[in-house]
Amino acid sequence: MMRRWLYIFDEAFRTVRRHKGLTSISVIIMSLSLLMLAVFLLATDNVLRLVGQAQDEMKMYVYLDDSNSQDEIERLHGLILSQDEVSTVTFVSREEALADFRDQLGPDADMLSALRTNPLPNSFWVTPRNDYKNRDAMVKLAARIEEMKGVDEVRYGREFLDKFASILAGIYTVDVVVGFIVILSAVFIIANAVRLTVISRRKTIEILKLVGATNPFIVAPFIIEGAVQGGFAAILSLLLLRVITEISSNIISDITFFSLEKSLIFAATCVVIGAIGSFMALRRYLEMR
Amino acid sequence: MSEQEREDRSVIGVYHLMKTYREQNALDDVNFTVGNGEFVFLVGPSGAGKSTLLRMIYMDEYPTSGQVVVGSFVSTRMKRGDIPFLRRRVGIIFQDYKLLDDRNVYENIAIGMRIVGAAPYAIKHRVTWLLNEVGLYHKRLEMPETLSGGERQRVAIARALVNHPVILLADEPTGNLDPDSAEDILRLLFKINSGGTAVLMATHDHSFVQNFGQRIIHLRDGKVFEDRKTDFIGSLSDRLETVRRDRDRQRRIDREIKRQRASILSPTRDSE
Repeated sequence: MMRRWLYIFDEAFRTVRRHKGLTSISVIIMSLSLLMLAVFLLATDNVLRLVGQAQDEMKMYVYLDDSNSQDEIERLHGLILSQDEVSTVTFVSREEALADFRDQLGPDADMLSALRTNPLPNSFWVTPRNDYKNRDAMVKLAARIEEMKGVDEVRYGREFLDKFASILAGIYTVDVVVGFIVILSAVFIIANAVRLTVISRRKTIEILKLVGATNPFIVAPFIIEGAVQGGFAAILSLLLLRVITEISSNIISDITFFSLEKSLIFAATCVVIGAIGSFMALRRYLEMR
Repeated sequence: MSEQEREDRSVIGVYHLMKTYREQNALDDVNFTVGNGEFVFLVGPSGAGKSTLLRMIYMDEYPTSGQVVVGSFVSTRMKRGDIPFLRRRVGIIFQDYKLLDDRNVYENIAIGMRIVGAAPYAIKHRVTWLLNEVGLYHKRLEMPETLSGGERQRVAIARALVNHPVILLADEPTGNLDPDSAEDILRLLFKINSGGTAVLMATHDHSFVQNFGQRIIHLRDGKVFEDRKTDFIGSLSDRLETVRRDRDRQRRIDREIKRQRASILSPTRDSE
Protein backbone atom coordinates (compact mmCIF):
# COMPACT_ATOMS: atom_id res chain seq x y z
CA MET A 1 0.00 0.00 0.00
CA MET A 2 2.77 2.33 1.09
CA ARG A 3 4.63 1.47 -2.09
CA ARG A 4 1.70 2.52 -4.25
CA TRP A 5 1.48 5.87 -2.53
CA LEU A 6 5.19 6.35 -3.03
CA TYR A 7 4.74 5.61 -6.70
CA ILE A 8 1.80 8.02 -6.96
CA PHE A 9 3.67 10.88 -5.29
CA ASP A 10 6.75 10.14 -7.31
CA GLU A 11 4.69 10.35 -10.52
CA ALA A 12 3.02 13.60 -9.48
CA PHE A 13 6.27 15.36 -8.68
CA ARG A 14 8.08 13.90 -11.66
CA THR A 15 5.58 15.54 -13.99
CA VAL A 16 5.79 18.82 -12.10
CA ARG A 17 9.58 18.73 -12.39
CA ARG A 18 9.57 17.58 -15.99
CA HIS A 19 7.02 20.11 -17.22
CA LYS A 20 8.26 23.10 -15.23
CA GLY A 21 7.30 25.61 -17.91
CA LEU A 22 3.74 24.42 -18.34
CA THR A 23 3.26 23.96 -14.61
CA SER A 24 4.44 27.47 -13.81
CA ILE A 25 2.29 28.97 -16.55
CA SER A 26 -0.78 27.24 -15.22
CA VAL A 27 0.13 28.21 -11.63
CA ILE A 28 0.45 31.84 -12.73
CA ILE A 29 -2.86 31.77 -14.59
CA MET A 30 -4.50 30.20 -11.58
CA SER A 31 -2.98 32.63 -9.12
CA LEU A 32 -4.10 35.65 -11.14
CA SER A 33 -7.68 34.44 -11.21
CA LEU A 34 -7.43 33.58 -7.54
CA LEU A 35 -6.06 37.07 -6.89
CA MET A 36 -9.25 38.47 -8.38
CA LEU A 37 -11.22 36.24 -6.02
CA ALA A 38 -9.00 37.16 -3.07
CA VAL A 39 -9.38 40.89 -3.71
CA PHE A 40 -13.12 40.43 -3.70
CA LEU A 41 -13.07 38.37 -0.52
CA LEU A 42 -10.79 40.88 1.20
CA ALA A 43 -13.11 43.75 0.24
CA THR A 44 -16.08 41.82 1.61
CA ASP A 45 -14.15 40.96 4.74
CA ASN A 46 -13.28 44.60 5.36
CA VAL A 47 -16.78 45.87 4.66
CA LEU A 48 -18.21 43.33 7.09
CA ARG A 49 -15.65 44.37 9.66
CA LEU A 50 -16.57 48.04 9.25
CA VAL A 51 -20.25 47.20 9.50
CA GLY A 52 -19.47 45.28 12.67
CA GLN A 53 -17.59 48.24 14.08
CA ALA A 54 -20.45 50.60 13.26
CA GLN A 55 -22.85 48.25 14.96
CA ASP A 56 -20.63 48.00 18.01
CA GLU A 57 -20.91 51.74 18.40
CA MET A 58 -24.69 51.70 18.34
CA LYS A 59 -25.97 53.37 21.50
CA MET A 60 -29.14 54.90 22.79
CA TYR A 61 -29.33 58.15 24.74
CA VAL A 62 -32.19 58.35 27.20
CA TYR A 63 -32.81 61.90 28.46
CA LEU A 64 -34.63 62.20 31.75
CA ASP A 65 -37.04 64.77 33.16
CA ASP A 66 -35.34 67.23 35.48
CA SER A 67 -38.00 66.55 38.12
CA ASN A 68 -36.77 63.01 38.87
CA SER A 69 -35.49 62.31 42.35
CA GLN A 70 -32.46 60.18 43.06
CA ASP A 71 -34.71 57.23 43.92
CA GLU A 72 -36.68 57.53 40.73
CA ILE A 73 -33.47 57.63 38.70
CA GLU A 74 -32.30 54.45 40.37
CA ARG A 75 -35.65 52.79 39.75
CA LEU A 76 -35.48 53.77 36.03
CA HIS A 77 -31.92 52.47 35.84
CA GLY A 78 -33.06 49.10 37.14
CA LEU A 79 -36.11 49.05 34.86
CA ILE A 80 -34.12 49.79 31.68
CA LEU A 81 -31.43 47.28 32.62
CA SER A 82 -34.10 44.61 33.06
CA GLN A 83 -35.14 44.88 29.38
CA ASP A 84 -34.10 41.81 27.36
CA GLU A 85 -32.29 43.80 24.71
CA VAL A 86 -30.17 45.85 27.07
CA SER A 87 -26.58 45.04 27.86
CA THR A 88 -25.34 48.01 29.94
CA VAL A 89 -26.81 51.25 31.26
CA THR A 90 -24.56 54.10 32.34
CA PHE A 91 -25.85 57.13 34.22
CA VAL A 92 -24.47 60.47 33.07
CA SER A 93 -25.38 63.35 35.39
CA ARG A 94 -26.00 66.80 33.98
CA GLU A 95 -22.73 68.03 35.49
CA GLU A 96 -20.77 65.25 33.76
CA ALA A 97 -22.58 65.99 30.51
CA LEU A 98 -21.59 69.64 30.76
CA ALA A 99 -17.95 68.72 31.47
CA ASP A 100 -17.96 66.41 28.43
CA PHE A 101 -19.47 69.16 26.33
CA ARG A 102 -16.82 71.58 27.54
CA ASP A 103 -14.10 69.11 26.59
CA GLN A 104 -15.61 68.68 23.15
CA LEU A 105 -15.72 72.41 22.55
CA GLY A 106 -12.08 72.79 23.56
CA PRO A 107 -10.89 76.36 22.90
CA ASP A 108 -14.48 77.56 22.35
CA ALA A 109 -15.43 76.46 25.89
CA ASP A 110 -15.52 80.12 26.98
CA MET A 111 -18.92 80.38 25.34
CA LEU A 112 -20.35 78.18 28.11
CA SER A 113 -19.54 80.73 30.78
CA ALA A 114 -22.34 82.80 29.32
CA LEU A 115 -24.77 80.24 30.67
CA ARG A 116 -26.17 80.86 34.13
CA THR A 117 -27.68 77.42 34.57
CA ASN A 118 -26.77 74.03 33.11
CA PRO A 119 -29.17 73.40 30.20
CA LEU A 120 -28.30 69.73 29.90
CA PRO A 121 -30.51 67.00 31.42
CA ASN A 122 -29.51 63.87 33.30
CA SER A 123 -29.26 60.90 30.95
CA PHE A 124 -28.60 57.20 30.55
CA TRP A 125 -26.30 55.73 27.88
CA VAL A 126 -27.86 52.45 26.92
CA THR A 127 -25.88 49.81 25.04
CA PRO A 128 -28.00 47.04 23.51
CA ARG A 129 -26.83 43.45 23.36
CA ASN A 130 -25.08 42.51 20.10
CA ASP A 131 -28.04 40.49 18.81
CA TYR A 132 -30.25 43.55 19.05
CA LYS A 133 -27.95 46.05 17.36
CA ASN A 134 -30.19 46.48 14.34
CA ARG A 135 -32.75 48.97 13.27
CA ASP A 136 -35.95 47.10 14.07
CA ALA A 137 -34.90 46.05 17.56
CA MET A 138 -33.66 49.55 18.32
CA VAL A 139 -36.96 51.10 17.25
CA LYS A 140 -38.97 48.75 19.48
CA LEU A 141 -36.71 49.21 22.48
CA ALA A 142 -36.77 53.00 22.12
CA ALA A 143 -40.56 53.00 21.96
CA ARG A 144 -40.79 50.97 25.16
CA ILE A 145 -38.31 53.17 27.06
CA GLU A 146 -40.03 56.32 25.90
CA GLU A 147 -43.26 55.09 27.53
CA MET A 148 -41.60 54.90 30.92
CA LYS A 149 -42.47 57.51 33.55
CA GLY A 150 -39.75 60.12 34.05
CA VAL A 151 -38.24 59.67 30.56
CA ASP A 152 -38.21 62.82 28.49
CA GLU A 153 -36.80 61.68 25.20
CA VAL A 154 -34.90 58.79 23.57
CA ARG A 155 -32.38 59.45 20.85
CA TYR A 156 -30.61 56.81 18.78
CA GLY A 157 -30.08 58.34 15.36
CA ARG A 158 -33.12 56.88 13.67
CA GLU A 159 -32.48 58.60 10.33
CA PHE A 160 -28.93 57.29 10.33
CA LEU A 161 -30.12 53.76 11.12
CA ASP A 162 -32.62 53.87 8.27
CA LYS A 163 -29.91 54.91 5.85
CA PHE A 164 -27.46 52.43 7.27
CA ALA A 165 -29.91 49.55 6.83
CA SER A 166 -30.64 50.39 3.20
CA ILE A 167 -26.92 50.86 2.38
CA LEU A 168 -26.18 47.54 4.03
CA ALA A 169 -28.84 45.79 1.96
CA GLY A 170 -27.35 47.35 -1.18
CA ILE A 171 -23.85 46.26 -0.26
CA TYR A 172 -24.99 42.70 0.41
CA THR A 173 -26.81 42.46 -2.92
CA VAL A 174 -23.85 43.77 -4.88
CA ASP A 175 -21.52 41.52 -2.93
CA VAL A 176 -23.52 38.39 -3.67
CA VAL A 177 -23.82 39.18 -7.39
CA VAL A 178 -20.16 40.13 -7.82
CA GLY A 179 -19.11 37.21 -5.66
CA PHE A 180 -21.06 34.78 -7.81
CA ILE A 181 -19.45 36.07 -11.00
CA VAL A 182 -15.94 36.15 -9.52
CA ILE A 183 -16.13 32.68 -8.05
CA LEU A 184 -17.60 31.25 -11.24
CA SER A 185 -14.93 32.77 -13.45
CA ALA A 186 -12.12 31.75 -11.08
CA VAL A 187 -13.30 28.15 -11.10
CA PHE A 188 -13.68 28.25 -14.89
CA ILE A 189 -10.18 29.63 -15.44
CA ILE A 190 -8.62 27.20 -13.01
CA ALA A 191 -10.41 24.24 -14.56
CA ASN A 192 -9.06 25.29 -17.96
CA ALA A 193 -5.51 25.79 -16.69
CA VAL A 194 -5.58 22.31 -15.22
CA ARG A 195 -7.10 20.87 -18.37
CA LEU A 196 -4.15 22.29 -20.27
CA THR A 197 -1.71 20.24 -18.23
CA VAL A 198 -3.85 17.14 -18.57
CA ILE A 199 -4.12 17.47 -22.34
CA SER A 200 -0.36 17.81 -22.59
CA ARG A 201 -0.12 14.38 -21.07
CA ARG A 202 -2.65 12.47 -23.13
CA LYS A 203 0.14 10.21 -24.35
CA THR A 204 1.15 9.29 -20.82
CA ILE A 205 -2.43 8.40 -20.01
CA GLU A 206 -2.70 6.30 -23.16
CA ILE A 207 0.50 4.40 -22.35
CA LEU A 208 -0.48 3.80 -18.75
CA LYS A 209 -3.72 2.29 -20.01
CA LEU A 210 -1.85 0.07 -22.45
CA VAL A 211 0.37 -1.42 -19.77
CA GLY A 212 -2.64 -2.15 -17.60
CA ALA A 213 -2.84 0.65 -15.04
CA THR A 214 -6.18 0.87 -13.27
CA ASN A 215 -7.99 4.20 -13.33
CA PRO A 216 -7.22 5.22 -9.74
CA PHE A 217 -3.55 4.73 -10.48
CA ILE A 218 -3.74 6.96 -13.53
CA VAL A 219 -5.84 9.61 -11.82
CA ALA A 220 -4.14 9.91 -8.43
CA PRO A 221 -0.90 11.57 -9.57
CA PHE A 222 -2.88 14.11 -11.59
CA ILE A 223 -5.12 14.93 -8.66
CA ILE A 224 -2.13 15.46 -6.41
CA GLU A 225 -0.55 17.61 -9.09
CA GLY A 226 -3.73 19.67 -9.39
CA ALA A 227 -3.86 20.07 -5.63
CA VAL A 228 -0.20 21.15 -5.48
CA GLN A 229 -0.79 23.65 -8.28
CA GLY A 230 -3.85 24.99 -6.47
CA GLY A 231 -1.84 25.35 -3.28
CA PHE A 232 1.04 27.18 -4.95
CA ALA A 233 -1.39 29.43 -6.81
CA ALA A 234 -3.15 30.26 -3.55
CA ILE A 235 0.12 31.15 -1.82
CA LEU A 236 1.22 33.26 -4.77
CA SER A 237 -2.08 35.11 -4.97
CA LEU A 238 -2.08 35.78 -1.21
CA LEU A 239 1.44 37.18 -1.45
CA LEU A 240 0.39 39.43 -4.31
CA LEU A 241 -2.66 40.55 -2.37
CA ARG A 242 -0.47 41.28 0.64
CA VAL A 243 1.70 43.53 -1.49
CA ILE A 244 -1.38 45.24 -2.93
CA THR A 245 -2.87 45.91 0.53
CA GLU A 246 0.47 47.29 1.75
CA ILE A 247 0.56 49.70 -1.15
CA SER A 248 -3.09 50.71 -0.97
CA SER A 249 -3.02 51.13 2.82
CA ASN A 250 -1.50 54.56 2.10
CA ILE A 251 -4.67 55.51 0.29
CA ILE A 252 -7.30 53.53 2.18
CA SER A 253 -6.08 53.64 5.74
CA ASP A 254 -8.61 51.30 7.21
CA ILE A 255 -7.78 48.05 5.36
CA THR A 256 -6.69 44.91 7.11
CA PHE A 257 -5.38 41.65 5.62
CA PHE A 258 -7.02 38.26 6.17
CA SER A 259 -6.42 36.65 9.51
CA LEU A 260 -4.13 33.60 9.43
CA GLU A 261 -7.16 31.39 9.85
CA LYS A 262 -8.94 32.88 6.84
CA SER A 263 -5.78 32.67 4.73
CA LEU A 264 -5.50 28.98 5.53
CA ILE A 265 -9.14 28.36 4.66
CA PHE A 266 -8.62 30.18 1.36
CA ALA A 267 -5.53 28.10 0.54
CA ALA A 268 -7.26 24.86 1.47
CA THR A 269 -10.20 25.74 -0.78
CA CYS A 270 -7.80 26.38 -3.66
CA VAL A 271 -6.14 23.02 -3.08
CA VAL A 272 -9.53 21.34 -3.31
CA ILE A 273 -10.49 23.32 -6.43
CA GLY A 274 -7.21 22.27 -8.09
CA ALA A 275 -7.79 18.62 -7.28
CA ILE A 276 -11.39 18.66 -8.47
CA GLY A 277 -10.43 20.56 -11.64
CA SER A 278 -7.84 17.91 -12.41
CA PHE A 279 -10.33 15.14 -11.92
CA MET A 280 -12.94 16.79 -14.12
CA ALA A 281 -10.40 17.32 -16.90
CA LEU A 282 -9.24 13.72 -16.68
CA ARG A 283 -12.67 12.18 -16.77
CA ARG A 284 -12.92 12.71 -20.52
CA TYR A 285 -9.76 10.76 -21.18
CA LEU A 286 -10.69 7.93 -18.88
CA GLU A 287 -13.85 7.31 -20.86
CA MET A 288 -11.68 5.79 -23.57
CA ARG A 289 -10.80 2.23 -22.70
CA MET B 1 0.29 -29.75 -33.61
CA SER B 2 -3.12 -30.74 -34.91
CA GLU B 3 -5.95 -28.29 -35.38
CA GLN B 4 -7.82 -29.71 -32.39
CA GLU B 5 -4.82 -29.47 -30.08
CA ARG B 6 -4.27 -25.88 -31.05
CA GLU B 7 -7.88 -25.10 -30.25
CA ASP B 8 -7.53 -26.56 -26.78
CA ARG B 9 -4.37 -24.75 -25.90
CA SER B 10 -5.10 -21.45 -27.55
CA VAL B 11 -4.24 -18.13 -25.91
CA ILE B 12 -6.30 -16.18 -28.40
CA GLY B 13 -9.52 -17.23 -30.01
CA VAL B 14 -11.27 -15.09 -32.61
CA TYR B 15 -14.72 -16.29 -33.60
CA HIS B 16 -16.94 -14.87 -36.37
CA LEU B 17 -15.49 -11.46 -35.72
CA MET B 18 -17.25 -8.55 -37.40
CA LYS B 19 -16.38 -4.90 -37.06
CA THR B 20 -18.34 -2.26 -38.88
CA TYR B 21 -17.43 1.38 -39.16
CA ARG B 22 -20.11 3.56 -40.75
CA GLU B 23 -21.63 0.56 -42.53
CA GLN B 24 -18.21 -0.44 -43.88
CA ASN B 25 -16.96 -3.83 -42.84
CA ALA B 26 -13.46 -3.39 -41.44
CA LEU B 27 -13.48 -7.02 -40.41
CA ASP B 28 -15.78 -9.61 -41.90
CA ASP B 29 -16.27 -13.00 -40.25
CA VAL B 30 -12.70 -13.53 -39.12
CA ASN B 31 -11.92 -16.84 -37.41
CA PHE B 32 -8.64 -18.13 -36.05
CA THR B 33 -6.93 -19.19 -32.90
CA VAL B 34 -3.38 -18.68 -31.72
CA GLY B 35 -1.95 -21.56 -29.73
CA ASN B 36 0.11 -21.26 -26.60
CA GLY B 37 3.68 -20.43 -27.58
CA GLU B 38 2.85 -20.06 -31.26
CA PHE B 39 4.38 -17.47 -33.56
CA VAL B 40 1.96 -15.99 -36.09
CA PHE B 41 2.44 -13.31 -38.70
CA LEU B 42 -0.63 -11.30 -39.58
CA VAL B 43 -0.02 -9.90 -43.04
CA GLY B 44 -2.03 -7.86 -45.45
CA PRO B 45 -1.92 -4.51 -47.23
CA SER B 46 -2.57 -1.41 -45.17
CA GLY B 47 -6.28 -1.00 -44.59
CA ALA B 48 -6.85 -4.73 -44.53
CA GLY B 49 -7.89 -4.57 -40.87
CA LYS B 50 -4.72 -5.75 -39.12
CA SER B 51 -4.59 -2.95 -36.57
CA THR B 52 -8.33 -3.14 -36.00
CA LEU B 53 -7.99 -6.85 -35.32
CA LEU B 54 -5.19 -6.26 -32.82
CA ARG B 55 -7.20 -3.55 -31.09
CA MET B 56 -10.03 -6.04 -30.68
CA ILE B 57 -7.60 -8.46 -29.07
CA TYR B 58 -6.33 -6.00 -26.47
CA MET B 59 -9.92 -4.79 -26.26
CA ASP B 60 -9.40 -1.16 -27.03
CA GLU B 61 -12.52 -1.70 -29.10
CA TYR B 62 -15.25 -4.31 -29.04
CA PRO B 63 -16.49 -6.28 -32.04
CA THR B 64 -19.75 -5.35 -33.72
CA SER B 65 -20.54 -9.05 -33.53
CA GLY B 66 -18.63 -12.22 -32.83
CA GLN B 67 -16.27 -12.88 -30.00
CA VAL B 68 -12.67 -12.52 -28.96
CA VAL B 69 -11.25 -14.72 -26.23
CA VAL B 70 -7.89 -13.93 -24.66
CA GLY B 71 -6.94 -16.35 -21.90
CA SER B 72 -9.86 -16.20 -19.50
CA PHE B 73 -11.12 -12.85 -20.83
CA VAL B 74 -14.11 -12.93 -23.17
CA SER B 75 -14.97 -9.78 -25.12
CA THR B 76 -18.71 -10.22 -24.73
CA ARG B 77 -18.42 -10.51 -20.97
CA MET B 78 -15.86 -7.78 -20.23
CA LYS B 79 -16.54 -5.08 -17.68
CA ARG B 80 -14.63 -1.83 -17.93
CA GLY B 81 -12.76 -2.65 -14.74
CA ASP B 82 -11.45 -5.92 -16.23
CA ILE B 83 -9.50 -4.26 -19.03
CA PRO B 84 -6.39 -3.31 -17.02
CA PHE B 85 -6.07 -6.91 -15.91
CA LEU B 86 -6.31 -8.15 -19.50
CA ARG B 87 -3.61 -5.68 -20.52
CA ARG B 88 -1.28 -7.16 -17.92
CA ARG B 89 -1.58 -10.57 -19.61
CA VAL B 90 -1.00 -9.14 -23.09
CA GLY B 91 2.18 -7.32 -24.10
CA ILE B 92 1.74 -4.73 -26.86
CA ILE B 93 4.28 -2.98 -29.07
CA PHE B 94 3.71 -0.46 -31.83
CA GLN B 95 5.39 1.06 -34.84
CA ASP B 96 5.85 4.32 -32.89
CA TYR B 97 7.17 2.59 -29.71
CA LYS B 98 4.96 4.64 -27.35
CA LEU B 99 7.63 5.23 -24.72
CA LEU B 100 7.30 7.76 -21.92
CA ASP B 101 9.82 10.47 -22.77
CA ASP B 102 9.87 11.92 -19.26
CA ARG B 103 11.83 8.99 -17.80
CA ASN B 104 14.81 6.85 -18.60
CA VAL B 105 14.96 3.40 -20.17
CA TYR B 106 14.96 1.59 -16.84
CA GLU B 107 11.87 3.43 -15.61
CA ASN B 108 10.09 2.94 -18.93
CA ILE B 109 10.38 -0.80 -18.45
CA ALA B 110 9.70 -0.72 -14.71
CA ILE B 111 6.45 1.26 -15.07
CA GLY B 112 4.53 -1.90 -15.97
CA MET B 113 5.48 -3.42 -12.61
CA ARG B 114 5.15 -0.21 -10.59
CA ILE B 115 1.50 0.11 -11.54
CA VAL B 116 0.77 -3.38 -10.22
CA GLY B 117 2.53 -2.50 -6.98
CA ALA B 118 5.38 -5.00 -7.33
CA ALA B 119 8.10 -5.12 -4.68
CA PRO B 120 11.20 -2.99 -5.44
CA TYR B 121 13.59 -5.94 -5.42
CA ALA B 122 11.29 -7.87 -7.78
CA ILE B 123 11.21 -4.89 -10.13
CA LYS B 124 14.96 -4.51 -10.07
CA HIS B 125 15.48 -8.21 -10.72
CA ARG B 126 13.03 -8.46 -13.59
CA VAL B 127 13.99 -5.19 -15.28
CA THR B 128 17.71 -5.96 -15.08
CA TRP B 129 17.08 -9.38 -16.58
CA LEU B 130 15.04 -7.89 -19.42
CA LEU B 131 17.62 -5.15 -20.06
CA ASN B 132 20.21 -7.87 -20.60
CA GLU B 133 17.79 -9.89 -22.69
CA VAL B 134 17.23 -7.01 -25.14
CA GLY B 135 20.88 -5.93 -24.91
CA LEU B 136 20.35 -2.47 -23.46
CA TYR B 137 21.74 -2.80 -19.94
CA HIS B 138 24.46 -0.27 -20.73
CA LYS B 139 21.79 2.24 -21.82
CA ARG B 140 19.46 1.79 -18.88
CA LEU B 141 19.94 5.39 -17.66
CA GLU B 142 19.54 7.04 -21.06
CA MET B 143 16.40 8.93 -22.03
CA PRO B 144 14.37 7.46 -24.92
CA GLU B 145 15.01 10.42 -27.23
CA THR B 146 18.74 9.66 -27.25
CA LEU B 147 18.15 6.12 -28.55
CA SER B 148 17.95 4.85 -32.11
CA GLY B 149 14.67 3.48 -33.45
CA GLY B 150 15.76 -0.12 -33.00
CA GLU B 151 16.81 0.53 -29.43
CA ARG B 152 13.54 2.22 -28.64
CA GLN B 153 11.62 -0.71 -30.00
CA ARG B 154 13.69 -3.04 -27.83
CA VAL B 155 12.80 -0.94 -24.78
CA ALA B 156 9.14 -1.21 -25.79
CA ILE B 157 9.49 -4.99 -26.11
CA ALA B 158 11.09 -5.23 -22.66
CA ARG B 159 8.24 -3.17 -21.20
CA ALA B 160 5.67 -5.38 -22.92
CA LEU B 161 7.24 -8.46 -21.37
CA VAL B 162 7.72 -7.14 -17.86
CA ASN B 163 4.59 -8.77 -16.41
CA HIS B 164 5.14 -12.16 -18.11
CA PRO B 165 2.37 -11.89 -20.70
CA VAL B 166 1.02 -15.02 -22.40
CA ILE B 167 1.14 -13.28 -25.75
CA LEU B 168 2.99 -10.40 -27.32
CA LEU B 169 1.04 -8.35 -29.86
CA ALA B 170 3.17 -6.40 -32.31
CA ASP B 171 1.61 -3.87 -34.66
CA GLU B 172 4.09 -3.18 -37.48
CA PRO B 173 7.01 -3.25 -35.03
CA THR B 174 9.56 -2.85 -37.80
CA GLY B 175 7.63 -0.23 -39.76
CA ASN B 176 9.90 2.68 -38.80
CA LEU B 177 13.17 0.79 -38.83
CA ASP B 178 15.99 0.32 -41.30
CA PRO B 179 16.42 -3.27 -42.57
CA ASP B 180 19.22 -4.15 -40.15
CA SER B 181 17.33 -2.93 -37.07
CA ALA B 182 14.19 -4.63 -38.38
CA GLU B 183 16.07 -7.87 -38.59
CA ASP B 184 17.36 -7.42 -35.03
CA ILE B 185 13.84 -6.86 -33.77
CA LEU B 186 12.55 -9.91 -35.60
CA ARG B 187 15.40 -11.99 -34.20
CA LEU B 188 14.50 -10.75 -30.72
CA LEU B 189 10.85 -11.66 -31.24
CA PHE B 190 11.87 -15.17 -32.29
CA LYS B 191 14.02 -15.46 -29.19
CA ILE B 192 11.14 -14.36 -26.99
CA ASN B 193 8.87 -16.83 -28.73
CA SER B 194 11.34 -19.64 -28.14
CA GLY B 195 11.02 -18.80 -24.43
CA GLY B 196 7.36 -19.81 -24.62
CA THR B 197 5.58 -16.51 -25.19
CA ALA B 198 3.15 -16.53 -28.10
CA VAL B 199 3.70 -13.74 -30.61
CA LEU B 200 1.22 -12.22 -33.03
CA MET B 201 2.94 -9.78 -35.32
CA ALA B 202 1.11 -7.65 -37.86
CA THR B 203 3.02 -6.41 -40.89
CA HIS B 204 2.28 -5.29 -44.41
CA ASP B 205 5.62 -6.62 -45.65
CA HIS B 206 4.70 -10.04 -46.96
CA SER B 207 8.02 -10.82 -48.60
CA PHE B 208 9.91 -10.00 -45.42
CA VAL B 209 8.21 -12.68 -43.34
CA GLN B 210 7.48 -15.55 -45.68
CA ASN B 211 10.83 -17.23 -45.30
CA PHE B 212 10.76 -18.08 -41.60
CA GLY B 213 8.62 -21.20 -41.61
CA GLN B 214 6.02 -19.55 -39.39
CA ARG B 215 2.30 -19.54 -39.67
CA ILE B 216 0.99 -16.64 -41.71
CA ILE B 217 -2.54 -15.33 -41.57
CA HIS B 218 -3.19 -13.31 -44.66
CA LEU B 219 -5.84 -10.65 -44.24
CA ARG B 220 -7.40 -8.94 -47.20
CA ASP B 221 -10.39 -6.57 -47.17
CA GLY B 222 -11.22 -7.60 -43.64
CA LYS B 223 -11.35 -11.31 -44.43
CA VAL B 224 -8.93 -14.14 -43.78
CA PHE B 225 -7.64 -14.70 -47.28
CA GLU B 226 -5.19 -17.42 -46.41
CA ASP B 227 -4.02 -19.13 -43.21
CA ARG B 228 -1.03 -21.34 -43.79
CA LYS B 229 2.21 -22.45 -42.34
CA THR B 230 5.18 -21.55 -44.49
CA ASP B 231 7.55 -24.41 -44.86
CA PHE B 232 11.10 -23.76 -44.12
CA ILE B 233 13.39 -26.29 -42.58
CA GLY B 234 16.55 -24.96 -41.05
CA SER B 235 17.91 -22.80 -38.28
CA LEU B 236 16.92 -19.23 -37.58
CA SER B 237 20.18 -17.93 -38.95
CA ASP B 238 19.51 -19.84 -42.17
CA ARG B 239 16.18 -18.11 -42.41
CA LEU B 240 17.66 -14.74 -41.72
CA GLU B 241 20.38 -15.52 -44.24
CA THR B 242 17.68 -16.09 -46.84
CA VAL B 243 16.11 -12.77 -45.96
CA ARG B 244 19.46 -11.07 -46.26
CA ARG B 245 20.13 -12.71 -49.62
CA ASP B 246 16.75 -11.60 -50.88
CA ARG B 247 17.41 -8.13 -49.66
CA ASP B 248 20.82 -7.97 -51.24
CA ARG B 249 19.37 -9.19 -54.49
CA GLN B 250 16.70 -6.53 -54.26
CA ARG B 251 19.37 -3.91 -53.62
CA ARG B 252 21.37 -5.10 -56.60
CA ILE B 253 18.27 -4.87 -58.76
CA ASP B 254 17.53 -1.38 -57.41
CA ARG B 255 21.06 -0.29 -58.10
CA GLU B 256 20.90 -1.70 -61.60
CA ILE B 257 17.65 0.11 -62.30
CA LYS B 258 19.07 3.33 -60.96
CA ARG B 259 22.19 2.93 -63.10
CA GLN B 260 20.20 2.26 -66.21
CA ARG B 261 17.94 5.21 -65.51
CA ALA B 262 20.98 7.42 -65.06
CA SER B 263 22.46 6.24 -68.31
CA ILE B 264 19.25 6.96 -70.14
CA LEU B 265 19.17 10.48 -68.68
CA SER B 266 22.77 11.22 -69.59
CA PRO B 267 23.44 9.93 -73.13
CA THR B 268 26.89 11.55 -73.29
CA ARG B 269 28.24 9.07 -70.80
CA ASP B 270 26.51 6.31 -72.70
CA SER B 271 28.37 7.17 -75.86
CA GLU B 272 31.75 6.88 -74.25
